[in-house]
Amino acid sequence: MTLSSLVEGLVIGLAVGSIYALIALGFVLLYKSTKILNLAHGEMVLFGGYMAIALTRSLPLPVGVSFVVAILLTLGAAAALGFVIERGIMRPLFGQPLLSIIIVTLAMGYIIRGLMVGLWGGDTRQFPQVVPTGVVRLGDIAIPEVGIWSALVAIILLVAFSLFFRYSLWGIAMRAAANEQMTASTLGVSLKRVFAYAWSSAAIAASVGGILIGLWLGVNFALAYVGLKALAAAILGGLDSIPGAILGGLILGVVENVIGGYIDANVALFGVPLQGFKDITPFVVILLVLMFKPYGLFGTEQIERL
Amino acid sequence: MSVRPAGDFKTAYVQDMALLDTRFFRLGFAALLAALLLAPVLLGRWLFLLNTIGIFALGAIGLTLLTGFAGQISLGHAAFMAIGAYTSWYVTARLGLPFVIAFPLSGFVTFSIGAAVGLPSLRIKGLYLAIATLAFQFITEYVIIHTAGGMGGTVVPSATIGRYQFRTETQFYYLLLPIWVFGGVYAANLMRGRVGLALMAVRDKDYAAQVLGVNLLQYKTLAFALGASYAGLAGSLFAHYNRVIGAEHFGIIQSIDYIAIIVIGGLTSIWGPHLGAAFVILLNQVLRFVLPAIVTVFPAFGKAATTSREVIFGAILIGLLIWEPGGLAMLLRKLKRYLDLWPYPH
Repeated sequence: MTLSSLVEGLVIGLAVGSIYALIALGFVLLYKSTKILNLAHGEMVLFGGYMAIALTRSLPLPVGVSFVVAILLTLGAAAALGFVIERGIMRPLFGQPLLSIIIVTLAMGYIIRGLMVGLWGGDTRQFPQVVPTGVVRLGDIAIPEVGIWSALVAIILLVAFSLFFRYSLWGIAMRAAANEQMTASTLGVSLKRVFAYAWSSAAIAASVGGILIGLWLGVNFALAYVGLKALAAAILGGLDSIPGAILGGLILGVVENVIGGYIDANVALFGVPLQGFKDITPFVVILLVLMFKPYGLFGTEQIERL
Repeated sequence: MSVRPAGDFKTAYVQDMALLDTRFFRLGFAALLAALLLAPVLLGRWLFLLNTIGIFALGAIGLTLLTGFAGQISLGHAAFMAIGAYTSWYVTARLGLPFVIAFPLSGFVTFSIGAAVGLPSLRIKGLYLAIATLAFQFITEYVIIHTAGGMGGTVVPSATIGRYQFRTETQFYYLLLPIWVFGGVYAANLMRGRVGLALMAVRDKDYAAQVLGVNLLQYKTLAFALGASYAGLAGSLFAHYNRVIGAEHFGIIQSIDYIAIIVIGGLTSIWGPHLGAAFVILLNQVLRFVLPAIVTVFPAFGKAATTSREVIFGAILIGLLIWEPGGLAMLLRKLKRYLDLWPYPH
């Protein structure tokens, strides 16, 4: 492996990783404030991608304008989806055992994916030409321009979300609810609202991730698996740690593109070349990490008492 | 368990522990067995449905033990089924050994792999464990695609005992039925005894169970190994039934379907996996008829029809979990109680 291909893998890995980080942030946001692991998160990514493409194509406006409008509408729709899920499905289930709630999110995933693929078909769909598709060259290293843009957007959003949690009233309320639901509730934090906001911001983060990946690679039903990779990132960093999610996403992006890419191309086991290993490297990595750190890199260890 | 008609007093522990404790259940079970024995005559060309239900019910029993009774979430159940299927294929097709050896061997192999996968469950808990099993699912899928022929490309011989070949649906059914019934009764028997009580204690609070003297290492790995071996045996049967296997039969979607089966059937009921498998497979079959019919009436619905199975499944799952978390098993029990008391409300 030459140095330039290593650096290229690193840069692309960081760009992809920033998108993973953004999606993983959605997981963590939701888990932190509601203690629900949302297995439909990947389908929310899908929702964002499909919705944005469909709207961009159907709006009777110039391409650039309709793209911007479509994104705003998609984010609005994602927020609405979050509210609907919280109000219609999660609130009746409040206090049910963990397993039931996880399975309900799985079922929501079924429904969202079924509706999306049913409406728009299973083929890969592309955005119309709205963002530059050129390649930036730094010496020998070629980086697709879309990658740079999406990384920038992801970073801006990550910073925005962190600031929101650090300083805004609602961010503080959500952190309080995450820390100790009963106490926060007695101090006047409306848990219902916190949960609703958590669901919609998770849906928004996922949708933005879906749009960014859609700009880069196009959207098809397999995009839901990106959600699983982001889940791996969230688990890697620790489910209840926002810096952990960001770092986990970046690590997974880099590992997938540098190590996975290297194994993909060069390593053979018992004479069988390991093609496609890139796609499962994230899972091998989390298995290894969980063996040594069962609560991820920065997750809070649960101390059990009787 | 506590739903008992008045006047039905237990005077010995044997009576209290009995699997079928009232005459209604004993007669009902005998009638069920008789119906199952006569099923090829009764069902005719629909027998394949019962074969599929049996295979998936057998696999789902394993997941019920693991998730419903021991409380360990597994998103990789289909991977164990795959391991069983490919073990059976390797032993019969490559090594040329008979099915009578391949079948128990696939159970044994998945038992050991299940125990190995279950070992980390001592350290990794809850959601983190679910993700670890998900990783296991993807890695197994990857290994199968890259070593054993990949998608739909592996041909398995039909099951044989001695010279006798199980080729037709009816022949296979009589091979499956004893295994299915035995598997179900074995699980029920296990769950009312020491093992079942220990697993339920682990589910409710593993730390507390440990304090009370339940060996966590032993019971958690046992739960995984048992769950995996049920899936492995189901996989072996599936391989010899379908006779063509591929990675697409054992994907993450099937793992999730298994979870849907046990939740629909009833998570903590020994009848759950059977009811759930029957419901899911019959629903599939019904949709296969109904959806094309709808499309011929409303052609605009055509594209959406392909995925409405997923949507309907999801809706049923959510509805069940909101209104009846006990699943079909609990619904049936409530129905029986209602009929017992009819026409009085209490």
